[in-house]
Amino acid sequence: MDAPKLSVTQLQAGYGDVQVLWDVTLDVKPGEMVCIVGSNGAGKTTLMRAISALVPVSAGRIAVDGADLTGATPARMVAAGVAHVPEGRRLFGAMSVRDNLLMGAYLRPDKAGIAEDLEKVYALFPRLAERQKQDAGTLSGGEQQMCAVGRGLMARPSLLMIDELSLGLAPRMVDLLADGLRRVNAEGVAVLLVEQDVMNALELADRAFVLDRGRVTLSGPAAALADDPAIREAYMGGLAG
Amino acid sequence: MIYLQVLANGLVLGGLYAAIAVGFSLVWGVLNVINLLHGSFIVLGSYVAFFAYAYFGIHPFLSAGIAGAALFALGYVVQAGLVNRVIAAPVLITLILTFGLDLILNNAMLLAFSADYRKVNLAHPLGSLELGPIFLPGDRVAAMVLAFLLTALLYRVLRDSRIGRAIIAVRMDREAAALMGVDVKRINAITFGLGAFMAGAAGALLSIIYPISPLNSSLFLGKAFVVCVLGGLGSVPGAMVGGVALGLIESFGAYWLGPEHAITLSFSILLVLLFVRPSGILGKRGYE
Repeated sequence: MDAPKLSVTQLQAGYGDVQVLWDVTLDVKPGEMVCIVGSNGAGKTTLMRAISALVPVSAGRIAVDGADLTGATPARMVAAGVAHVPEGRRLFGAMSVRDNLLMGAYLRPDKAGIAEDLEKVYALFPRLAERQKQDAGTLSGGEQQMCAVGRGLMARPSLLMIDELSLGLAPRMVDLLADGLRRVNAEGVAVLLVEQDVMNALELADRAFVLDRGRVTLSGPAAALADDPAIREAYMGGLAG
Repeated sequence: MIYLQVLANGLVLGGLYAAIAVGFSLVWGVLNVINLLHGSFIVLGSYVAFFAYAYFGIHPFLSAGIAGAALFALGYVVQAGLVNRVIAAPVLITLILTFGLDLILNNAMLLAFSADYRKVNLAHPLGSLELGPIFLPGDRVAAMVLAFLLTALLYRVLRDSRIGRAIIAVRMDREAAALMGVDVKRINAITFGLGAFMAGAAGALLSIIYPISPLNSSLFLGKAFVVCVLGGLGSVPGAMVGGVALGLIESFGAYWLGPEHAITLSFSILLVLLFVRPSGILGKRGYE
């Protein structure tokens, strides 16, 4: 059990001629909650997309449970236990909430397990149970995020990657989602979280990586980073007490 | 009472038009590919039915399944081997690709089967149905019922099967679908195959009504276009509504203006609709 759930080594990636990620190295241990913080354009989303094989990797290595999956397909990453809740949620808007959740279990053959996990997601976010027949596009922003997280969980992942949990949501919704995420994590699912709300992220996570212009500039226990004056200055505007 | 007859003719025609168009609409809606091969796929389905009847005595109502399966295989290969290579390119590129492929397929059919019109002459036609003042040719009605059943079957597949959900997911958001583990290229090929299946099956059903010739492919393609614009692109109910609407327009147009103006009328309405309501009668929503 020494192999990290996810290990990214010296990763370089980008779009066409524009390189976004420079020698990014990070890891997530089994059951751990790790967050990536950084300003807009730092490469957080690109990093997640590269891990999910949506963006081609030009150099470096991505491994899941010690197995090299560099240059795999998105489907192989899902099969390896890595589910990705993309930025902007990307729900299937004209599909029902229930069908969206079932799409998350697309690769799974175990009907009984899928039904069981559907109930678990409904228990985690009761709002989704109430609205399961509704089109996902008609949900409020917070409910959509619940649906997106639930859809990710339906793959029964061992690592859940979430690109922006709280962006644009009401504080009450953020609390519900953060609470849900803690419960998921407590059941042993590792979480890799990208979050613009640095305070919130550092509060949730065990460890954090700071990404700046495509490079990891700082990493360590989240609690330590939260006390780092440079971090407070750069990302919290010095306001947080 | 003549109007009832014209109405009935229009409905029968409309059921067939829906089957002609639904595969074309599926491919356009999901893959954003305007498949100019569609008309030739229909004609090829007709030839499968023709030869199956001529050599093996298989009734076109049964060989519709064979024609559909054969065309599914052809469509799958065309998408997997060729169209998938340029699927991300602008729509004009895929349009030119299917245009070129259609030239090849259509001329190959001309070479193999000649431009002569052939017809399936059923040994045991169903005769005609009399419903009060309305006369309906039994074979046409049966073909229409089968066409509706096939279209309804496609609807169920898209709505209730795992593959169907994946097709709809790809239509809505290809990248999000990929993140669910959907093999988008495979779904593309299956979708193109399903479109070709519907074309082949519709072609087989049409073989007992229309003369068969490679020259008819552009006629069928034109109808598919009109039905899609009338009903709205990208849904089975849209294709059904569009098909029935076109059938009624042509039927009443032929009655009032003379049969020689039926096609002119349908294309005129197409133009008006493109100006007034480009999203179609039902408008655009998810594909199901």
